[in-house]
Amino acid sequence: MGVAFVAHCMLNQNSKVGDGAHCAGIYSPIVDVLREKGWRIEQMPCPELAFAGLNRFWAVREQYDTAAYRRHCARLATAVADVIALRVERGEDVVLIGVEGSPSMGVTITSSDSERGGRPEWPDGSPEHVSGEGIFVEELRRELDSRGIGFPRVVGETHAIPGHDESAERAAVEAALDG
Amino acid sequence: MKRDERSYRVALVADSYVNPPPGGVDALAAAAQAGWGVIQLPADDYPATVAERLLFEVAEQAEEFARHGYDLVLVGQRDGLAEAFASVGLALPGGIIPESFVALKEFLGSRPNPPALGRPGTAGG
Repeated sequence: MGVAFVAHCMLNQNSKVGDGAHCAGIYSPIVDVLREKGWRIEQMPCPELAFAGLNRFWAVREQYDTAAYRRHCARLATAVADVIALRVERGEDVVLIGVEGSPSMGVTITSSDSERGGRPEWPDGSPEHVSGEGIFVEELRRELDSRGIGFPRVVGETHAIPGHDESAERAAVEAALDG
Repeated sequence: MKRDERSYRVALVADSYVNPPPGGVDALAAAAQAGWGVIQLPADDYPATVAERLLFEVAEQAEEFARHGYDLVLVGQRDGLAEAFASVGLALPGGIIPESFVALKEFLGSRPNPPALGRPGTAGG
């Protein structure tokens, strides 16, 4: 059986930054695919929730990229890596499902703006989206590497990405699960 | 911008209801239908050291929801959860050990409005 390590908000949109919750709680488009394909679900902690709180602002990588936040993410990554290691030892297939565009949980797209800071005013749009991983995902990669565990296949929920297409998102998740 | 659709309701759910055996109670389906978010509790067969780390993170996240007046409930049970909650100054929330999908959905649907819904400026949590 496969095990999908999913971003916290896939099961709990209440953890999202303000104005970021796409639904009441469960993000069913991803969960439904995992259920249909018989994958076990492991929810990862939300790195931003306990650190910056429910009233946090929308932010880019540079604003979260502090020593203290990296230590926090490294602590969470240790807990997640413990479980990934258990699953890998049991010979189970592992996939990581992140959140594209997130400064913490992006798996192939994160957000970056070296100028952002101060009074929180900036134009709508998404010029901050760049290729790359979020800070938690980087720390998880570092922790797994230190244990000699290969990084799992990844795919991301794409709600925050311009042109988001639910059917394309589903196809990408299915492709990641199928390997 | 689209309005924030969070429910301010979070269920702490034992792994056996997140990943139910055939014929078991699927808490994710019940939560989706009732409009609740879920925090998964560690599987019962995880080594104590692994589970303790995860339970602490669960407690710390639950603490943030509690501070902001979100409703918290417990679905099922998990050894060590009470101790983890105590470490952040929380008592375990009320809950249910559901005997059926319908019972769980009715339980979630019967909860009173969470205090967060009556607070100004809490859309972001």
